Amino acid sequence: MQFVKSTCLAIAAGAATLALSAGALPKVVSAEEIVIRMAAPDWPPTRFMQEEANRSYKAPSGNDVRLELDFIPWGNFYERVAASLTSGEQKYQMIVTDSQWLGSFIEGGYYMKLNKFIDADPELQALMEDLHPALVAAYSTYPHKSENYYGFPQMPDTMVTWYRKDLFCNDAERAAFKETFGGTLPCSYEDWENVDWKAWENIGNHFRRAKGDKLGDGVADDDFYGVAYQASKTYDFSTMQINAFFWQWGGGIWDETKEPEGKAIGVVNSDANVAGFERYLDLLKLAPPAYKTGQMGIFEIQDLFMQGKVGAIIDWVGLGEPVLDPKTSQVSDKVAFGVTPGKRGSDGKIERWANIGGQPFVLTTWNSDTVNQEALDIVKWWLSEDTQIKFAKNGGQSGLKSVMAMDEYKTFRPWNQAHVAMLPWQRDVWHIPEFFELLTQQQEEFDKAITGQKSAREALDAVATFQDDILREAERIE
Amino acid sequence: MSHPTEPQGFVGWLLSPERRGALLVAPAIFVLFVMNIFPLMWSFGLSFFNYRANRLTVPSFRGLYYYERVLTDPVVWERFQTTAIIVGSSVLLQLIVGFLLALLFERAFPGRRILLMLVLTPMMLSFVAVGVFFKLFYEPTFGLLSQFVSVFTGEPYAILATPTSALIGIVVADAWMWSPFVMLLVLAGLVSVPKYLYEAAEIDRASWWRRFRTITFPYIKSLLLLAVLFRTIETFKLFDIVYLITEGGPGSSTETIAVYVYRLAFQFFRTSQASALAYILLFVVIVLTNLYLYGVQRRSQEL
Repeated sequence: MQFVKSTCLAIAAGAATLALSAGALPKVVSAEEIVIRMAAPDWPPTRFMQEEANRSYKAPSGNDVRLELDFIPWGNFYERVAASLTSGEQKYQMIVTDSQWLGSFIEGGYYMKLNKFIDADPELQALMEDLHPALVAAYSTYPHKSENYYGFPQMPDTMVTWYRKDLFCNDAERAAFKETFGGTLPCSYEDWENVDWKAWENIGNHFRRAKGDKLGDGVADDDFYGVAYQASKTYDFSTMQINAFFWQWGGGIWDETKEPEGKAIGVVNSDANVAGFERYLDLLKLAPPAYKTGQMGIFEIQDLFMQGKVGAIIDWVGLGEPVLDPKTSQVSDKVAFGVTPGKRGSDGKIERWANIGGQPFVLTTWNSDTVNQEALDIVKWWLSEDTQIKFAKNGGQSGLKSVMAMDEYKTFRPWNQAHVAMLPWQRDVWHIPEFFELLTQQQEEFDKAITGQKSAREALDAVATFQDDILREAERIE
Repeated sequence: MSHPTEPQGFVGWLLSPERRGALLVAPAIFVLFVMNIFPLMWSFGLSFFNYRANRLTVPSFRGLYYYERVLTDPVVWERFQTTAIIVGSSVLLQLIVGFLLALLFERAFPGRRILLMLVLTPMMLSFVAVGVFFKLFYEPTFGLLSQFVSVFTGEPYAILATPTSALIGIVVADAWMWSPFVMLLVLAGLVSVPKYLYEAAEIDRASWWRRFRTITFPYIKSLLLLAVLFRTIETFKLFDIVYLITEGGPGSSTETIAVYVYRLAFQFFRTSQASALAYILLFVVIVLTNLYLYGVQRRSQEL
């Protein structure tokens, strides 16, 4: 027992001496180890971010900063992020987020308002100036289009047309198309700039072939379809395409910027929206039969295209990389990209309004000042010209006007020209906390129309009534 | 020779023989309380408050408001109806298939063991594997079912395109997975029938139906009841397969009550309403469980 006591005393004395002497010594500035953990969907744009950070990111502060992305499958990305935030575990310092979630998690107190940082930092101000305004509005502001800023673009995404140039540029197909429909089968990027929904319909009818029919220079080895776009109950899939028809037909969605005067009834089920939705449903009949199940989402049409079963699809740029890879795509050497079709106005011009995709990344509210500063340095690194060019060359998209304006930008990836042209046509869905209820009910009603259980008008009437109820309950409609 | 000293004071009091048992089970009770009972009570409390997990607002007491709201919500009743249709059809199909399989495997035949193992495989797979398998199986462009049907009709077949056929698709997937479970229970009953009863029946020249009604059925009826109740309780909570194969579609025609609770809680963040609905479901499951326990009790009395 005596021995134990003596040992304890000796340790205590030693510790005290060390502590005193450390206090007497001049302070040594050492690099702090900081891990910035970021929730991110698991797909190529975020995988590249991690790889590039590992390769090239050095914190300007001199701290040992590591960016660690927590990759979450797309299918349950929202639920995982929501569960983490609402449980209070404070696991993430940054989050890649869909723009629709902004309201929900800002009002929950999880996403950091960035105005004070931007106001105090000329570099961030310059960066905000250089961001495309459509991206700032969709990815950063809450309330939507206000001057409260929360996020920066991680991966801006738009829908473009993917098409089989071996078929669309085939002389025999072009001659047959001209003979039947009287127009030109679009072959070049410029040709696609002149494609409206009528031409899309003609393309769909032209390329519908049964197994064994002649197709291009060969024979269809299975049933072949001309065109497809997303029609799926999953998440926001149908909504993303149907909103484009609403806007192009002169209709719209409930406008959160007009709260509380903005109405749902009369807007959501307006004649223009009904006409746009009916056109969407008409054109859907040209797609592969998967649409009949209401499960033809962005991944399904991507698969069908890569398996060589569809001539042209409308899908996100962010999903384009696998289609160029011969390991995953049977059409890797036959694909080209163009702008999406639109509605031709009486003046002959085509309107291509579409719903923006992609994701911003945000900071969380529990970060210390040091972590905030390091996170903002990561933002600056990611949105630096150098990183953005590397990102764009590897299948991503830049949010910076200066980078997109470079002549060579269009040549980085084959869809870049179409993406840049589509960017000014982007609008966004709601950002309010009730978005998931609005979205889920709308998706269900759209699905009923897609699977033939309801007419376009019946579905939109049900959507408008539901939105009116929910938004009145939330005091967003007077 | 000195006796080992007994611990004194609080430790001695704690380790006294009459408290030792309680001390040993305390960790398990603690874990049960933290992981199970406390969250259960907490969510029960939440069902009386106006609370949303994604908001910072302080919850306010609303009494039975959310119970009233849930019980008067037509969507809830629609989802209950869908669930009842799936439970009724799926459990019936499981009973028929499971029973027939048990009759098949009751007899010895070459390759019985291997075949039995293969038949039992579906119930050992994860829900996700079964869901993804059936989703691909039903896919109209390249799925096997569509390819098979198109051999006769010349047209691709989309089973998930209409409400009725989508319900059939869900029922078939669930029954495919769980019929082997019913088979196991029935098989256990069948092999417990004493052989001499069949021999006596044969001497009496009893018909197959009479032998089944008077000998086989009495031995398996309690196990059959257990199978029905157990599968009813489980199918009542069906979530995974529905969510994976149809996500409740087309429209909302295959959305079960369990999927709806999930949407309320984790997509709409109507935490209080979801808690209230979850407790109503719990009540239904408790009623079914009591029926199950009653069945077990009768079985043990019979044996």
